[in-house]
Amino acid sequence: MKTVNLINEPAVAGVASQARLKFERTDKSVNVLDKTSMEQLEACLGTLELDPPKVLILESGMRGCFVAGADLDLIAAVQDASEATKLAERGQALCRRVEVLPSITIAMVQGSCMGGGLELALACDYIVAIEDKKTQLALPEIKIGIHPGFGGCVRLPKRVGWVKAVEMILTGQSVDAKRAERIGLAALCVQPEQFEAAIGLLAARGKVKLRTFQPWWLKVWPVRALFFQQVEKKAYARFKALHLPTAYPAIPAVIHLLKETIGLPDRQALQREAHSLGQLAVTPTCKNLIRVFHLGETLKKQDAVRRGRESVAGFSKTAVYGAGVMGGGIAWVATKTMNVDLHELSAEFLSRGMKGLSDLASHGGSNSKQRLNRIRPVLDASGLDGADVVIEAVLEDINVKRKLWIEVGKSVSKETLLLSNTSSLSITEMQLRRANAGRIAGLHFFNPAPKMPLVEVIAGEKTTEETLDKTCALATSWGKFPIIVADRPGFLINRCLMPFMIAALRLAEAGQHPEHIDGALKHFGMPMGAFELADRVGLDICHHVGEHLSEAFDSVRAMPDFFEKMLADGLLGEKSGKGFFVYDKGKQGSLNPSLVKYLPSAKKLEHAFDADMKMEADVMSVTAISDACLIPMLVEALHCLHENVVDDPEHLDAAFVYGIGFPPFRGGLLHYFATFERLLLSDKIAAAGLNLPDNMDVLNAFRA
Amino acid sequence: MAKRKVIKKRPTDVVIVAGMRTPLTKSSGAFDALSAVDLGVLAMRELLARSPVHRDDIDQVIIGNVIQPAEATNIARVISLTAGLSHAIPAHTVHRNCASGMQAITDAAEKIQLGRSDVIIAGGVESMTHAPLLFHDRFRAAMAKLPRARTLQQKIPILTEIAKAPWKPRISLLEGLTDPTIGMGMGQTAEVLAREFNITREEQDTFALQSHQRAAAAWDAGFYDDEVMHVFAAPSFKDLHRDEGIRASQSMQALKKLKPAFDRPLGTVTAGNSSQITDGAAMLVLARREKAEAEGWPVLGCLHDWAYSGCDPKRMGLGPVFAMHAVLQAADLRMSDVDRVEINEAFAVQVLANLKAMESTAFAEQQGWLTSMGAPDMDKLNVHGGAIAMGHPVGMTGARLILTLLRQLRGEYDGGLGLASLCIGGGQGGAVLLSSEAAGLAS
Repeated sequence: MKTVNLINEPAVAGVASQARLKFERTDKSVNVLDKTSMEQLEACLGTLELDPPKVLILESGMRGCFVAGADLDLIAAVQDASEATKLAERGQALCRRVEVLPSITIAMVQGSCMGGGLELALACDYIVAIEDKKTQLALPEIKIGIHPGFGGCVRLPKRVGWVKAVEMILTGQSVDAKRAERIGLAALCVQPEQFEAAIGLLAARGKVKLRTFQPWWLKVWPVRALFFQQVEKKAYARFKALHLPTAYPAIPAVIHLLKETIGLPDRQALQREAHSLGQLAVTPTCKNLIRVFHLGETLKKQDAVRRGRESVAGFSKTAVYGAGVMGGGIAWVATKTMNVDLHELSAEFLSRGMKGLSDLASHGGSNSKQRLNRIRPVLDASGLDGADVVIEAVLEDINVKRKLWIEVGKSVSKETLLLSNTSSLSITEMQLRRANAGRIAGLHFFNPAPKMPLVEVIAGEKTTEETLDKTCALATSWGKFPIIVADRPGFLINRCLMPFMIAALRLAEAGQHPEHIDGALKHFGMPMGAFELADRVGLDICHHVGEHLSEAFDSVRAMPDFFEKMLADGLLGEKSGKGFFVYDKGKQGSLNPSLVKYLPSAKKLEHAFDADMKMEADVMSVTAISDACLIPMLVEALHCLHENVVDDPEHLDAAFVYGIGFPPFRGGLLHYFATFERLLLSDKIAAAGLNLPDNMDVLNAFRA
Repeated sequence: MAKRKVIKKRPTDVVIVAGMRTPLTKSSGAFDALSAVDLGVLAMRELLARSPVHRDDIDQVIIGNVIQPAEATNIARVISLTAGLSHAIPAHTVHRNCASGMQAITDAAEKIQLGRSDVIIAGGVESMTHAPLLFHDRFRAAMAKLPRARTLQQKIPILTEIAKAPWKPRISLLEGLTDPTIGMGMGQTAEVLAREFNITREEQDTFALQSHQRAAAAWDAGFYDDEVMHVFAAPSFKDLHRDEGIRASQSMQALKKLKPAFDRPLGTVTAGNSSQITDGAAMLVLARREKAEAEGWPVLGCLHDWAYSGCDPKRMGLGPVFAMHAVLQAADLRMSDVDRVEINEAFAVQVLANLKAMESTAFAEQQGWLTSMGAPDMDKLNVHGGAIAMGHPVGMTGARLILTLLRQLRGEYDGGLGLASLCIGGGQGGAVLLSSEAAGLAS
């Protein structure tokens, strides 16, 4: 099978000889650099070297994609460091051969140009960015736990300067065609119709001379040291609680590499790049991040999404009920593709909701004003007849919601999807005695809705397949990852999250310091500790959900008594300004001083691990704490699988990463615990006072 | 009551299917952050969401606007695209000063009558807040020369000229309210009428007070609830529904205290008895009757006839008299046949002068009319308040008058006749004769 075509256009009168390397393949939807394509590229280069044309053009024959980078499976399959280093060296050699070709080389980039694709383009004299919605250039390797390995770390700084290059490599962020030209990555940004004209213009400019080092001030040693210090500080800031060299080794590694290779000759710099890549490619982090990426893809490309895509494409208006934090967030998500009517009963709530939305818009992207304009605040039932979807995020009260569906049902068309953003109510119950029951489903967003990628799609008893398909496709069109879950109390995420939180509360009750527990969980990689989570969600809501779930399931322990006392005293968490911690304008402050009243363990710690502190229990180790909190979560997750709350264990793993931010570098909840010795795990489950789930064998499939 | 004149329905009638407006806000008030485009988009989007007319049923868009923003030339097009109408639907902007909103509607009506369109969105928008500040022309001329200067030697005299040119901005709002052909401000033309018709300060203030009281009462009674949309405007996003300018507590004492605004110290026209400078937008959907009936759209009323007349620019406030006379003559009607009248309250004195002129036989003789046309009773005129209380966003008011006139006829005189009229800077008047439809829904 052909993946790269070499097309020769010999010189004719007045026109110099040209050759085109056209990336085009039929077996995949995008161009990737895998074994086949690299072999073919090498063969083509062999031909070109024998008789170099005046101009060589790299282009893609596929819509929306130039070259999407090296094949992820290739990296995932690498077992030892030298193998990975060899792979990198092979890619480097390829790029080098393009670079030293006497032809004028031009990469015509239309569509995504990622990783290895951009590194190949960087080896050309010129990059032309063709304006297209899909044109994105990036070196996103950092997102899968490695760094560019085909010479990107060496060539990008020469092209865009060190400041921009370090930013692009460390964040993995992409630039569009216009920005690519502005930062000097692309020589030109042109319209698709100007394809040939751009080639003519650049061919006339001739080969590019050596690029100068920029910015000049980086040559000054102390400034350079300061620069990298700042880079490090900025890169580490996001992961304060983590031990970065084990969690995300690529970050310190790439900073080290860049710092080291400044001013080195290309050959040595490339050697170090390949070596460093080899080390990173075999880390569990790299494998886990690739796994998590694939998990996200499986959610986005699940069958339901595929089936519903077509009918959702014609949707133009969503009606959202409830302008609270959740409703507003959902409205903002929906503006991504649709007009939104934001319904609310009182003008005061609506105006607060609109204010919140304008805050969202103020740190949104370039089209945020347009998106804000798509929202129409509504105080009555107007506009419902034109709605394709109605999403409610009103009070969590089954009667309120049932009444709403009766009201809405009167005005909407017979096709409209009726989706409920509930976290604890039964969809089946909402469908009782409703003529439009088939079109009612659950669509549960996580807070904050614009940020959290996961949504739970809940099928009630009467929800039709068609409704589910459309709902999943709708969520995907908004950039969300849908997971279909059964209509059981707490659905999937909240049901598993509660045992985790209760375990943390119990640990604190038994004498562990809350800050220590939160610290341990953050060290494990959770985006926030259990106590902060309780505060952010609201203690009242946690209590409500906790009671509800512990009644429904034997495996969920009851909420500890002190929690109720806190609630009675009005400590509600972030919304009341005080919970376990003190909050000021949404920013977490220190531990609430009055917490000692409820939790004796919350006494101020002068020396975190000082055994002299008269604590009721010994200070548990960081891993012991994270295990103690996570094991009840694991057990509940296994119960969920057993009860078919979710069908696919892979989906479950994805849900924890994208729904609650389970540390992606650990690969997923089941994946993480599958690495444990079975006996040890059983002991730990028993120690947590839980019964061993029947389906422990599920974990076997996750063992490498 | 005398037998009511009934005008026969025809399938080719121009009917009004829906209408919606924003609240009117004081200049630099609640809509300070909203441009005329923003206001137009809000009203158009709300109109479309609330009416059964689908956006793809629209054949074209016509919008009146006086202070046309530099960043949105042909504001009608910018509004209709931003509000989400298809780019295949053409849009244009019309300008007849204070009657621009009315002009948009009558232009639309004429196109429907001619059979060139079936369904048109017409209306008016104005953000007087955003009337720009202008550079002096000497400054402009120097700036224009600058790019052509190559050498430093050439540049220096130009830069000196720029430095010497007057930097004080010209206020376009004030210049716009001045008639360049006579060099008089609108307020000064109102003073002319006060002197000619002997209308005292007290009469004017009484009329102004009544406007506030009527508007406040109409709002309290819920008359405006369905005509005016709720707006949640940046940056505070507070709910705004009621027109901002209405002072329920307005009193004669308070009005008395104000100094003459245009002719000190002897004038009688004050800020209190003139219309307010405001922002707002109003939009209507007009359709041919047979189209509306075929689609099953509700018919609110029917536009029968309209006229624009010219008059002495110094007495531009008399414009409505001439325009209404023309419309009534053509329909062979008398003022007493009309159930409700809206005369825009540009100035209290101008409305009062209109009433006197309409009553006066001498005035009729002077114009060569057979008899005086007769003035409407006060309880038929501007029943729910007017521009003195609510404001006069110049390009928008014409559309608002038609909408509000239609709605009051529907409430109290189902099937009755109404006359909406306004005076136009530059010496013109415009008037529209319409009727509400008794049934509301097309049969």
